[in-house]
Amino acid sequence: METAAIATAPAIATEHLTRRFGDLVAVQDVNLRVAPGQFFGFLGPNGAGKSTTIKMLTGLLAATSGRMEILGVDLGQNSVEVKRQIGVVPEGMALFGRLTGAEYLNFVGRMYGLDRVTAAKRTGELLDFMQLVDQPKTLVTDYSHGMQKKLALAAAVIHGPKILFLDEPFEGVDAIASNTLKAMLQSMIARGATIFLTSHVLEIVERLCSHVAIIHRGQLVAQGSLEELRAGVQAQAAAAALTASGAPGVPVTSPGEKLTLEEIFLRVVGGTRRADQELSWLG
Amino acid sequence: MAGLIFSPQARGQFAAIALVRWRLFVNSLRTIRGRLELVSRGFMFMGFGTLGLGGSFAMGAGAWYFVAHDRVEMLAVLLWPVLLFWQLFPVMASAFTENVDSSNLLRFPLTFPSYFLIRIAYGSLDPATAVASLWLLGMAIGIGLASPAYLVLALPILLLFAVFNILLSQMIYTWVERWLARRRSREILGVVFLLVMISFQFVSPLVRRYGPTAAPVLSRVTAQTLPFERLLPPGLAAASLARALHGQYPLALGAFALECAYALAVLWLLNLRLRAQYLGENLSEAVARRAKPAGKQKVQLGWNIEGVPGSVSAVVEKELRYLSRSGPMLFTLVMPLVILLIFRFTPGKSDRPGGIFAHSADLAFPVGAAYALLMLTNLVYNSFGPDAAGIQFFFASPVRFREILLGKNLAAAFVLAAEVALVWLGTCLMYRPPPWDVVLATVTGVFFVLLVNLIAGNFLSVFTPKKIDFGTFGRQRASNTTAFASLGIQAAVVGLCSVALLAARAYHHIWVAAVVFVMLAAGAMVAYFLVLDRMDAIVLKRREAMITELCKA
Repeated sequence: METAAIATAPAIATEHLTRRFGDLVAVQDVNLRVAPGQFFGFLGPNGAGKSTTIKMLTGLLAATSGRMEILGVDLGQNSVEVKRQIGVVPEGMALFGRLTGAEYLNFVGRMYGLDRVTAAKRTGELLDFMQLVDQPKTLVTDYSHGMQKKLALAAAVIHGPKILFLDEPFEGVDAIASNTLKAMLQSMIARGATIFLTSHVLEIVERLCSHVAIIHRGQLVAQGSLEELRAGVQAQAAAAALTASGAPGVPVTSPGEKLTLEEIFLRVVGGTRRADQELSWLG
Repeated sequence: MAGLIFSPQARGQFAAIALVRWRLFVNSLRTIRGRLELVSRGFMFMGFGTLGLGGSFAMGAGAWYFVAHDRVEMLAVLLWPVLLFWQLFPVMASAFTENVDSSNLLRFPLTFPSYFLIRIAYGSLDPATAVASLWLLGMAIGIGLASPAYLVLALPILLLFAVFNILLSQMIYTWVERWLARRRSREILGVVFLLVMISFQFVSPLVRRYGPTAAPVLSRVTAQTLPFERLLPPGLAAASLARALHGQYPLALGAFALECAYALAVLWLLNLRLRAQYLGENLSEAVARRAKPAGKQKVQLGWNIEGVPGSVSAVVEKELRYLSRSGPMLFTLVMPLVILLIFRFTPGKSDRPGGIFAHSADLAFPVGAAYALLMLTNLVYNSFGPDAAGIQFFFASPVRFREILLGKNLAAAFVLAAEVALVWLGTCLMYRPPPWDVVLATVTGVFFVLLVNLIAGNFLSVFTPKKIDFGTFGRQRASNTTAFASLGIQAAVVGLCSVALLAARAYHHIWVAAVVFVMLAAGAMVAYFLVLDRMDAIVLKRREAMITELCKA
């Protein structure tokens, strides 16, 4: 029954997902739908609720209300089954600093139920792929930030997850490490996995992701493929121009103009600055 | 310099920093944990207050006696303990000392004198300075009572001594901080510290054992070193006080000037470190890159513990690997053997060999085992502390917390079993093999206490976790709340077992104690598994608080 559900269900689905911190509503009524095999970018300004959402989806944070289904399995009802199917690189990377990289990957593999031989074999392969083999005796705590990111990603995929959740995977990573990470993610997508990532680097999201959702002040304000979002924004701008009451600071797009993800993002969240805004004391 | 320090801008900066610290304190009281910490700090304050006021009274009485009986040079006898306490206490009890991380200040336009002053001011807000200052105040009052007119001369000398101590403790801290910046040197230095601490434990037994025969030699050595002692800060302060009382003002001024020279030398060394920090010194943790070896890395297989699920075996392996890389924890675990050694060389009431257990060698094993249990609290009462941000992995993994805690508890039990075996071996070598009924009673008693500790430890690990670094000495220990709670539990349970064992021993039926312990352990075992089964639900309710606390930068 459960296997059948996994085969047909969306990879990620939420219904009225809400999270409150006291009086603050961090995430409100979010209805997400991510199909299997999508490379999904989850965007939003700082404090919009991205990390809160990803934490709820990965079991690091309880939802105040709403439902979450991962591969057709209710996260609230069967979190262990869900966690077996997913890999996570959370905000703090969740590393154990006083293990070596190999020991850490081995440990993670065994915690995900791999047998000793398989865990050791995959550890060797991942260290090689991530170019971490030249640090055999170095403790994770002594790794550079980029190396730690690569190790965290390696740990998230060691059990071959069907869905990968990544919170800011490219933050503080140099071009070389970033390239390795991207290669790993693209090979996962090619094999049918689903990737759900948050990032502030919109150029990378635009290049990698097929689908995007934008959260703003805790509410989902846009969701769809890049083309759908682009078309939506352009239609909205055209409608505003027709009524001659366009929102301030939102320029009308010319027909055929291809908006970048950054432009779409800024229009959706209304992030353009007022022209009269300035700091009187600054230069 | 004074102008720079007390300029309006500098004064504004000092006020802003003081306000921030006050707000941090007030904000910490928003949580129950913060309020519990405040209560624990209240107890700490009372403890140090008693030490400070009691010591102050004793120092005052001593100073009054020496001045009233014209033996002012003997004030050095009081000043040396002040200096030693001031400098050693922050090292020995660093859990009570808050270290200042001033790196955040560097982005503000602070002048170096302001930066220097802030470092000194906040670095001085520690119990050692408060207690030792009270002691010096007590001395000043004693001197004033013995000779009011003399107090005017004594005050600047005592004040200089206090300034010297504040600078010295800061100077030591900043230099040690530099050496501790790298993990390896941190651990090496930590081991050296611990060896020094251990060596102090041997002083008393050695003096008592060899004291009578060594007395003439010691007297001769003391007589020879006394002139040098007078050239050191406590001796100089005492000499300055004595000369001033006797009206030998040039000599008093000379000793005072020498004391000033010491303070200036320390100030210079401190200035070197603080100047480097002010200029943005970066003490990196990064290690030199090794040459890339050819081919793939050979990865060893993980551990396999028969009869235990793979995930639990993995947690046990991870815990023991962490422990094996922690110099401080390893030395903590060696302490029971050291205690046995100390007891062995401590003379008892008779001349029979065997030290303190000359008449009761059968107690050496239980005492050593009980000490091993005390050391165990470091492992079980904050078991997620060393994991830090790794706690997120436990929450994201498909393994239940029941299994994670079981793995951690098994690792602690393995360590304790190894320790008890070592203590038994040590007892056999240093005393004689303990009788079978004592071994049985001890092992069953230890098992019972271990189970109680694991139950309480699992709760406290979840309710009052605190991020700690297994590689550093003393700087970050479990929360004050955990420390007080664990102390109470240990006192109750170990006390109960001791009473049972001693009562059974008095009636020459030690096996009765073993039977009692087995029954208690059976009850504790049932309680342990009942609690363990509920830990998943408890941990889930606490997950946000745990992640927040353990993932702190």
